[in-house]
Amino acid sequence: MREAVAGRYIGQRVRRVEDQRLLTGRGSFVADVEPEGTVHAAFVRSPFANANIVSIDHSVASRAKGVVAIYTGAEICLLTNPFIPFSNLPGQFTPPFWALAVDRVRFVGDPVAVVLAYSRALAEDAAELVEIEYQELTPVVSIDDALRTDSEPIWPAAGSNILYEAADQFGEVDEAFRKADRVFTETFTSHRLSNQPLETRGCVAEVDPESDEVVFHAATQAGHALRWTLAAVTARQSAVKSIRALAGNRGRLKAFARGAKAALAGTGDQLKKADSSGTIHQIRKDPRTLLYLGRSFLGTLSAERFPRVVAKDIGGGFGSKGPVSREDAVILAVAMELNRSVKWIEDRVENLTDGGQARDERLTISFAVQDDGTILGMKANLVMNQGAYPGVPFNCGLFSRIMKVMLPGTYRIDAFRLDTTVVASNKGRYIPYRGPWANETWARERMLDVVARELGMSATQLRLKNMYHPSELPAKMITGPTLDPTMTAATTLQRAIELAEPAAFAAKQEDARSRGRLLGIGFATYHEAAPGPPDYTDAVTPGVGALLAEKSEISLEADGTVTIRTQQMPHGQSHETTYAQVAADQLGVPMEQVRLVWGDTKNTPFGIMGTGGSRGGPIGGGAVQFSSRALRTKILDQAADLLEANVNDLEIVDGNIHVRGVPAKGKSFAEVAAAAASAGGGIGDEPAITAEFTYNGPPQGGWACATHVCWVEIDPDTGFVTIPRYLVVEDCGEMINPAIVEGQVRGGVAQGIGAVLYEKTNYDEFGNLQSSTYMDYLMPTAMEIPEIELHHLETPSEVEANYRGVGEGGAIGAPPALTNAIENALAHLGVRITEQHLPPHRILELTGVIKPNVASR
Amino acid sequence: MPAFAYHRPASLDEALDLLSRFGEDAKILAGGQSLLPLMALRLSHPANLVDISRVPGLNEIVEDVEGGLAIGATVTHTRAEEAEAVHRLTPLVAAALPLVGHRAIRNRGTVVGSLAHADPAAELPAVALALGARFIAVKSGGQRRVAAADFFSGFLTTDLAPDELLLAVGFPPQKPRTGVSVKEISRRSGDFAIVGLAATVSLDEAGLIASSALSFFGAASTAVRVTEAEEALAGQSPGPEAFEEAARIVSQSLDPPEDANGTTAYRKHVAGVLTRNALADAIDQIGFAA
Repeated sequence: MREAVAGRYIGQRVRRVEDQRLLTGRGSFVADVEPEGTVHAAFVRSPFANANIVSIDHSVASRAKGVVAIYTGAEICLLTNPFIPFSNLPGQFTPPFWALAVDRVRFVGDPVAVVLAYSRALAEDAAELVEIEYQELTPVVSIDDALRTDSEPIWPAAGSNILYEAADQFGEVDEAFRKADRVFTETFTSHRLSNQPLETRGCVAEVDPESDEVVFHAATQAGHALRWTLAAVTARQSAVKSIRALAGNRGRLKAFARGAKAALAGTGDQLKKADSSGTIHQIRKDPRTLLYLGRSFLGTLSAERFPRVVAKDIGGGFGSKGPVSREDAVILAVAMELNRSVKWIEDRVENLTDGGQARDERLTISFAVQDDGTILGMKANLVMNQGAYPGVPFNCGLFSRIMKVMLPGTYRIDAFRLDTTVVASNKGRYIPYRGPWANETWARERMLDVVARELGMSATQLRLKNMYHPSELPAKMITGPTLDPTMTAATTLQRAIELAEPAAFAAKQEDARSRGRLLGIGFATYHEAAPGPPDYTDAVTPGVGALLAEKSEISLEADGTVTIRTQQMPHGQSHETTYAQVAADQLGVPMEQVRLVWGDTKNTPFGIMGTGGSRGGPIGGGAVQFSSRALRTKILDQAADLLEANVNDLEIVDGNIHVRGVPAKGKSFAEVAAAAASAGGGIGDEPAITAEFTYNGPPQGGWACATHVCWVEIDPDTGFVTIPRYLVVEDCGEMINPAIVEGQVRGGVAQGIGAVLYEKTNYDEFGNLQSSTYMDYLMPTAMEIPEIELHHLETPSEVEANYRGVGEGGAIGAPPALTNAIENALAHLGVRITEQHLPPHRILELTGVIKPNVASR
Repeated sequence: MPAFAYHRPASLDEALDLLSRFGEDAKILAGGQSLLPLMALRLSHPANLVDISRVPGLNEIVEDVEGGLAIGATVTHTRAEEAEAVHRLTPLVAAALPLVGHRAIRNRGTVVGSLAHADPAAELPAVALALGARFIAVKSGGQRRVAAADFFSGFLTTDLAPDELLLAVGFPPQKPRTGVSVKEISRRSGDFAIVGLAATVSLDEAGLIASSALSFFGAASTAVRVTEAEEALAGQSPGPEAFEEAARIVSQSLDPPEDANGTTAYRKHVAGVLTRNALADAIDQIGFAA
C-alpha cells in the first residue's frame, strides 16, 4: 500500500460524503416527489406469455372509485411514437415497439393499459376491473424454442425469431484447429438474472399547467439519454405540423444545430467510422421504421414541450436504470395529455417481471491446444436470448460485440472465430447487468479449467503458460485492442497463487476426500475495458467511441467554493466523495469546499452514457481532474493579478494562494472569486470563474484486471455449498478511495455468488414467471456472503488520471471462480460443470446421489 | 392492497360475533406475517379483517396441572421463544421457534397464527403433529377441541370453520427419557424449509426405543408423519443401524412436491439425511443412550 501523502485526498479512505444524508433518512428519491394534484398510475399487465389481444373493456374500471383516466395501447399509439432502434448492427433487426402492447402481448407482465387514479391503491383496485380477452398463442421461451425453424415469429416483420447473426473471424482458425494436438469443446449455459436494485424503477412527470413546463423526475442512470429518448417517443404529431412548427421557429433549429455540433466536437472522426448498413437493413425489413424515424426526428425538433429530467438520490441500478422504460414514456405522454402530474413507483413484483433481466446466454467454446498446453486457437458460438422487447438504447447486439472482443481474454490466442445469434422470446427484456459481457469470462475461464484437467495440468499452470505477461506488452489482442504493460492480469494471478497456495491446498483436499469431505478451489482471471484504449471501442463497434466523451464543468463560485457539474448519475458509486477528492487535490482546497451538481439535465453537461460501464472513475474522474486543473490555472492567473506576482511563483496550500514561502500574504479562494466577479462586472451568485474539459478516456491502457480465488466446501449429503474463503487480487491503477474500490468489488462478488447459488429468474415452459417475489427470487444476504479478502496492485501508468473502473469486475470474476471451485471439489466424481446456476438439488444430481430431473432445470 | 373493512374487537365475544356475521368474508388478523403479504400481492381479498390483538386473555402462556402447556392466540413467536416454561415443558417447540422466519417476523407473527395458516413448509404445524397437540377452537356459543392429526386438512387449509377462532394450542407434557430435535434445510437463513423434520424419541427403561415421532414439513401438502418409520424404530436399540433403516423408509415413503428449490428426488433424499441426523441428535440429549 502506498504511503499517505499529507494534504492529498487521492488514495485516502475518505469517509463517504453521501452517508450522513442517506443514513439519516434525508435522501431524496423519486418516490419522495409528489407535486400537488398528482395522480397515480398502475399498469394492467398481461398474464400470458404470448397472446393476441381480442378486446379490452374498461367501462367498469373507468367508473371505479377515484379513477381519473384509463389508456390502452390503441390510445397510446395516438399519443406517442414507437421506440425505434438507436443503432443497429449490420444485419440486425430490432423491432420497433409501442409503449403499451397494442394488439398482442409478448411476455408475462407486458403492460396493456394504464389506470390513473387518486392513489396507487385505487389505481390497483380499478386495474383489476379492466377486462381483457386474450387469444393464447404458442409461447417461445427457451433459446431452443426460438431457434426452431417452425417457431412462430414473435415479431412478424423479422421473419423468424432470429434477430441477429454474425460470423467474425480473426487469424487462421481452421489451420490452428488442424495443427492442434487436441481439441476440446463444451457448451455452457447461463440462466436469467434480474439486476435487483434496492429502489425499483419509478418516475413522476410533473406538469405545471400554467407554465407548460414538464419536469420528469426519474430514477435513472442516464438522465440526458432518457430525456432525448422520451422527447422522441412522446413527440407525436404529423410531419406537416412539425415542419410548420420548425419553419416558424428558426431560433430553435439553430439551437439544436449548435447543440449537435457541440456534442460532436472532437468525436466527429469517431462517428465517421460508424457503419449505417444496419439501419438500412432495418428499414428494408420494416419500412415503417423510416416513417417512425422521420416522425420522431421532426417531432423532437419541433415539440412544443420538451421534458427536463431531474434525479436526486437513486437507490442503485446495476445497469437496470440505464435503459429507458416503456412505462416512462407512458407516464410522460399521459401527463402531458391530461395536463397534470402523474406518478408511477414500481412495486417489487413489477420489477422482477418487467424491470429488466439479464444473461440467459449459451456459449459453446472449442480450444485447439498442443499437448504441452499451448493454445493455438479458439472457436465460440454465442446465442443470446433477448426476450420480447429490445432494450433501449442498447440491446443484445452491442453486448454481443463486447463479448466478441473480450472472449480471448488475456491469453495469446492468434486464431479466433465467433458465431453470434440473438433470438427473440416471450420473456422479459434483456438489459445490461453489471458486466453485461460477463459470460465470455465465465465460459472461457470455465473452459480453461476443463482443458487443464483433460491435459493433466493445473488450472493456474495452463493460464500462466498462455497469458500475456506485462513484459510481453504492448501487444494486440487478436480482436483488435492493444494491451499495454499496465494490463497486469498475469501479475494478479501470480500474486493470487502466492496467497492461495494451491499446491498446499491440493494435499488438504486429498486428505479431506479420504474422510468424506468435499473441498475445492477455483481461479478466474480477467481483464476488462474500464474504459480501455481507443482501439477497444473501435473493435467493439466502429463509431461507438463518439458516445463516450464526457464533459466536466467546474466553477469557482462567488463565495470561494467550487462546483463541479457532471453528466454522471451517481446511484451508489460515491461520486460526491471521489470527485471532491480529485478536484480538491488539483485545486489545493479542503474537499468540503467542493460540491458536486448532478442529476438535472437543465444544469449539467450533456452526455449520453450517464453512469455505467465502470466509467465514473476513469472517464468522469479524469474529466474532473482535467477541468479542475484548467480552473486552477485561471484562478492562479487571477490571483497573480491581485498579488502582483508572477503566476509561476504562486502555490496553493489549504485554499490559501500565495507566493511560494510567503503564506501570510496570501489570498483566499473567496477573495480571488470576489475580484474575478467584480472584474467581470458580475453581481450576486453567478460563478466567478469557470472552466471545462471534455475527456474521452486515456490514449492507451485503461484495463482493469483481477484474479479471483474461491474456496468451497460441499456437503455431500445435501449439496449445500459453503465458501470458507474468497480472495481477490485486483489492479485498477491508482485508487481514488480504496474503501470505495473495496465496496464495489465486494458488492460485485456478492452478486456473482448470488448468480451461481441463489438467484434465478425462472420461467416455466409456458413462459410463466415463477420468480416474481423475493420468496422465489433468492437474493443473497449478509448470511450467505463470506468475508472477501482484497489485495490491490495499483500499477502506475505514464498516462495521467490512471484510474480504472471497478464497478463491474467483482460480478465478472465471481461466477467462474465459484463454479471452477465447485467442479474442483467434485472432480474425482467425474463431474463437469457446464451450467451457471447450481442450487443444492442440482449438485446432488451431478454427484449422482439423486436422479436428474431435466424439467426442473 | 385491496380495500377491506377493519374491525378491532375489544372482547372475545365481540370478535366471535364479527366472525359469525361475516363468515367467509372475514379473516382474522393477529401478527399479519402471512396474511398481509398475500393481500399486498392481491392474492387474498378479504372484505373484513378482524384484528384480535386487543382481545384480552389471548396473550398468555399457561401451564396446566398435567405438566402441559397452552399458548394463546396472540402470543408471538418471540414471546414463546423467550418463555422459560416453553423450554422446560415443550423442548421441541423451543427448538423449532428460532427457525421460524427471521427475528422481525417472529416479533409480530404468532404461534397460533402460524398453525391456523397451516403452511406445509412451516415448522410449527409439524411440531404440533409430532407432539399430538390439541387445538381449542371457539365460536359464538361453542368451543371444541381438535386433535392435531385431524386439524391440518390440506394445503393452507384446516378443520377450522369460517366463524371459528383458534383460541389456543395445547401441548401435552413430554414423556420421560425423551429427546427432541428439529432439523431443516433451507436455501438461505430464515427461508421456509425445502424440507424439515420435527422429531421426538422416547426410550424405555431398558434403553430401547419406546416410541418416536417423525413429523415432516415441506414434504407434502400438509405436515406429515411417517408412521412406518416410527413403527420400525419401536423396540430397536437406538443407533446408526436403526436410524439408517428409518431414514430409508422415510425416503421411500414420502412423495414431496417439486419446485425451484428442490426436486421430488432431492426432497426424498434429504428427508432421509435429516432423519438420521435428527434421531442421533435427539438420542444424544437423553443422556443415557445405549
